[in-house]
Amino acid sequence: MSGIPPFDAELLRRYDRPGPRYTSYPTAPQFHSEFDESALRSHIRRSNEDPIPRRLSLYVHIPYCFSPCFYCGCTRIITRDLSRARPYLERLVRETALVGSLFDRDREVVQLHLGGGTPNFLRPEELEELIDSLGSHFRLSSTPARDFSIELDPRFLEPGDIAAYSQLGLNRASLGVQDFDPTVQQAVNRVQSVEETLRAIDECRAHGFRSVNVDLIYGLPKQTIEGFSRTLDIVLEARPERLAIYSYAHLPDLFKAQRQIKAEDLPSPDAKLALLELAIDKLSAAGYVYIGMDHFALPEDDLARAQAAGTLQRNFMGYTTHADCDLVGLGMSAISHIGDSFSQNARLLEQWEIALDQGRLPVWRGRSLDHDDVVRADVIQQLMCQAGVDIAAIERRHEIEFPVYFADSLERLRPLVADGLVSVDDRRITATSRGRLLLRIIAMCFDRYLHEPQPAAASARYSRVI
Amino acid sequence: MKEHLEQRAVRPIADDGDEFHFCSTCAFSQACLSSGYDKAQLRELHVLVEHVGPYKEGEHIFREGDPFNAIAAVRAGTVKTYVIDTEGREQVQGFFLPGEVIGLNAISQSRYPSNAVALESVLLCRFSFPNIAALALRVPGIQQQLFRLLSSDIGKASLLAGNYSADERMAAFLVSLSRRYAARGFSATRFLLTMSRTDIANYLRLAPETVSRVLRRFQDDGLLKVDRREIELLDRSRLETLARDVLRG
Repeated sequence: MSGIPPFDAELLRRYDRPGPRYTSYPTAPQFHSEFDESALRSHIRRSNEDPIPRRLSLYVHIPYCFSPCFYCGCTRIITRDLSRARPYLERLVRETALVGSLFDRDREVVQLHLGGGTPNFLRPEELEELIDSLGSHFRLSSTPARDFSIELDPRFLEPGDIAAYSQLGLNRASLGVQDFDPTVQQAVNRVQSVEETLRAIDECRAHGFRSVNVDLIYGLPKQTIEGFSRTLDIVLEARPERLAIYSYAHLPDLFKAQRQIKAEDLPSPDAKLALLELAIDKLSAAGYVYIGMDHFALPEDDLARAQAAGTLQRNFMGYTTHADCDLVGLGMSAISHIGDSFSQNARLLEQWEIALDQGRLPVWRGRSLDHDDVVRADVIQQLMCQAGVDIAAIERRHEIEFPVYFADSLERLRPLVADGLVSVDDRRITATSRGRLLLRIIAMCFDRYLHEPQPAAASARYSRVI
Repeated sequence: MKEHLEQRAVRPIADDGDEFHFCSTCAFSQACLSSGYDKAQLRELHVLVEHVGPYKEGEHIFREGDPFNAIAAVRAGTVKTYVIDTEGREQVQGFFLPGEVIGLNAISQSRYPSNAVALESVLLCRFSFPNIAALALRVPGIQQQLFRLLSSDIGKASLLAGNYSADERMAAFLVSLSRRYAARGFSATRFLLTMSRTDIANYLRLAPETVSRVLRRFQDDGLLKVDRREIELLDRSRLETLARDVLRG
């Protein structure tokens, strides 16, 4: 699977509906608060007892941001008070010690991602304390193949910061850009110059970062074809190894900051599709490969290679090459995926702090997966990462008869087959090139919870797929 | 698709017996099959059998020092037996799979000499020992079967003794499980390790990290494949060769 799928506006318009992004299955709305600290501890204990316990992937959430970007749906705290970093950091260190002690020491950490918020709200010295603490409570891999990444807001980088990150062992960076068009930047309250952005990319390269990712968003207020086209040209000129083109999801009821965005400034659905088409055309021409969902990469990048090799995985951090890691989330609102469980830390700072001050794991909610969840998660993972399902492999791994077990799902796939999004035979389910921009729609056919009676308003929690 | 379904690796459980048929994994099925009992005798053996359980994961079936009154065949799940040594450390003595009998090492004494704990949901067929011993006096096949079970139980302990490498121990452990599953009609090449890494390590007298390291190396060498708790033996003959000395010992 290579190249970039063709663009079919009519089809995309028809299938543009709310749907989960499947960074997990079951999705977060299925988590519940009966999953508590003792449940998490027992899942961790069990995960240590596999014959070959999985390696670890750490996610650390740093919620602070200097100013609110209006489009943002992340869990974050806006402040210009740098002193707030200290108490947060101290509790992160406490959480690291508490959680780290539960994992057997031979479980190597091969992936670390610092996300936010704005991780560079912490000064390099503070990040060093954090990474030192991670290193003393977990066994951090020392091989060059490890992926230690950080999300950066280029507007708040000081000279020497990137060199310092590299010294700390960070080797991948992800930069928020969204759009360089000044009118759009004002409308979303994120004014960021081309110069500071390109400087950050150059510095990452000069200091040996293995990849730089750039995030763009289409569907922002005041966005135009001309403006976004210029943005894409500038970004493609810098040729980041990875590119994410997210769709702006306007859910002001869910995300307070989005209430600052006037609905009348948003591009019409057709204009939004035209922005996506523009991006896809330009990325194709520039030689990028489509990884899945919103993600693109240069063909020689590890993600593109993993996809070609069939080893690509998807988790809360997006696509990853690290197959079969247990994912440990630290920091407020962070999500963990350990063994057959998902769990999420307290989403309010105060609750997260109180738990740690009392020496408790700050788990807020979660879910233990049953056999059916595990089977469906496997199918959905294959769809999202390989754009197809190897039926025999699923039957063998889970000891089911696919056509019987998934009779309902296969029935739900029929109209998608008729529309040419997906093909189904005895051995494989394959997203066609037309269907690859609509993987969520295909995956939704296998989601048990979408087809069970739901509490009202549950569907309003998902963004639209385009 | 069919061939995958025929030999299930996951959670072997014996089919239920009835008045005239034993469970397919029954430890005593051999006694009646080979001796051709009439229905009256079968019924006599059957009334001795008491289905007990399920025992939950972590629940004890008997404890060291409990008065001995019954042996039990595992019908589903895995049972671990262990003792606590003088320094308070657990020493794993063995794992019992469906079709295998626990409590045999208590026969010579009046009390159980070890602890037995369920590693997952466990179902048992319990035989009152005084009753089966009395029946054995009248039915020679039962007596022979008891002797067979006793001698194989003694043989199991030899896996632990001797100066063997980590690779040899691990291979012997896997080959032994494979043979035991195969003997009960389950897949010999694909099965779940229902015991924890800590228990395997303890049983083989290795460090838990060593268990994983050896398995990872076996996997890299193409001897087997590990997926979470599931093991698939890819090169049994090489594993058998590695295990030869231990299993002969």
